[in-house]
Amino acid sequence: MSEASADHAALEVVDLHKSFGDVEVIRGVSMSAHKGDVISILGASGSGKSTFLRCINLLEIPNAGDVFVAGEKILMHTSKSGRYEPEDIHQVERLRARLGMVFQSFNLWSHMTVIENVIEAPVHVLKIPKAEAIEQAEVLLNKVGILERKDYYPAQLSGGQMQRVAIARGLAMNPEVMLFDEPTSALDPELVGEVLKVMRDLAEEGRTMLVVTHEMGFARDVSSEVVFLHEGRVEEQGEPTQMFKNPNSDRFRKFLSRTMQ
Amino acid sequence: MDLIIEYQGQLLSGTWVTIKLALLSLVLAVLFGLLGAWAKLSKNILAQKIGAAYTAIVRGVPDLVLILLVFFGGQELANSIGTLTGLWDYAEISQFAAGVGTIGVVFGGYMTETFRGAILAIPKGQIEAGVACGMSRLVIFRRVIWPQMVVYALPGFSNNWLVQIKSTALVSVIGLQDVVYNGFVAGRSTRELFTFMFAVLMIYLVLTAISDVGLRWLDKKYSKGIVRSEDG
Repeated sequence: MSEASADHAALEVVDLHKSFGDVEVIRGVSMSAHKGDVISILGASGSGKSTFLRCINLLEIPNAGDVFVAGEKILMHTSKSGRYEPEDIHQVERLRARLGMVFQSFNLWSHMTVIENVIEAPVHVLKIPKAEAIEQAEVLLNKVGILERKDYYPAQLSGGQMQRVAIARGLAMNPEVMLFDEPTSALDPELVGEVLKVMRDLAEEGRTMLVVTHEMGFARDVSSEVVFLHEGRVEEQGEPTQMFKNPNSDRFRKFLSRTMQ
Repeated sequence: MDLIIEYQGQLLSGTWVTIKLALLSLVLAVLFGLLGAWAKLSKNILAQKIGAAYTAIVRGVPDLVLILLVFFGGQELANSIGTLTGLWDYAEISQFAAGVGTIGVVFGGYMTETFRGAILAIPKGQIEAGVACGMSRLVIFRRVIWPQMVVYALPGFSNNWLVQIKSTALVSVIGLQDVVYNGFVAGRSTRELFTFMFAVLMIYLVLTAISDVGLRWLDKKYSKGIVRSEDG
């Protein structure tokens, strides 16, 4: 993986491992996302899909493996006590800023209004002038359809609205890749649609996205690639239409029949 | 009333000592409280143990005992260190410094618990969201933790502060001329102890009432978005 190459992937993960205590949750997963790819990561609960996503921006520190963001490798080393850890926290912070993250439980900052949430990281991490950040935030809030609530506090919004704000907050960093960690799992069923629509629009715009999800419709119709994890390994991956019509692995076939009713 | 006016100089200077003592020891208590909360929440086991020992000791011992220990015991300790090392002949710990130090450290123990609880009340996901967008630990503390911590800490903080103002009265025991000491002296020499103690009582009430206004202002300033929150 040459760091100088111009056609590097937006995101590349190589042979990632993660254990919690004695339990190995991720057992060597590799994945690469090129610009415009929308990769849906599927799997039963406990398959390690959320953990995998959280290892990419080092919310969880993996036990082995490499992550490249736009060709730049996150430098890791093994400490004296034998722990695999980042070599340079400033590099990690810089690369985290290039990966937008949307959480299952939104995680908006509750003491800030909608617009304050969106401009917070651009102003305090990227050091963009506030006026410019506000201008850009308004465009994004308009895009996710919530501009008229820009001065509301998170507690005054519905789950679907909060998640759309969280998406705008991620986009505000103009990230290389957007990571979605089960973005609709905490929503009431009638609110899922509005969030999926925003994500669909982003996919059409050519955003690079990694989406851990249970939304089979989204995985099949919107993503360019589907990865099915089972017990911390990639069980099957491929082009969605093909995979949904003709699953190769028994496990994915069973998973489909359980979830697509 | 005439007597009070006659002695107003002493009462006012005593009140001023009480205010200085309370405010300076509050600053110290907040610093120790932040440090203690950081230690107790740290992943470092040594820091955790030091934090735990600190709060266990200062909250488990009467303030008065600590004040006497620091003032008289500290005096002896300073002198024996001076004699031993030959660096100084005689050192004196000022009553004011002993008072500020002791009350600050003791209430730092209470503040530690208040701040620790307040930090734990902030949803972990909000800190994670900060991490995920590349914030440094300092930015996360300043922008995400601090403004919310203040709100969650305020009720406990107010309580600690009111108790702390009143605890400053203990320094009169080591001869510091605060409002209680001066009121007591004036009361005894005029044989009007009731009048003077009543005046002192009113002075404390005024001080705590003023604090209440300040605390309410803080609450209003920081409780944006949070008080209304149902889901935390």
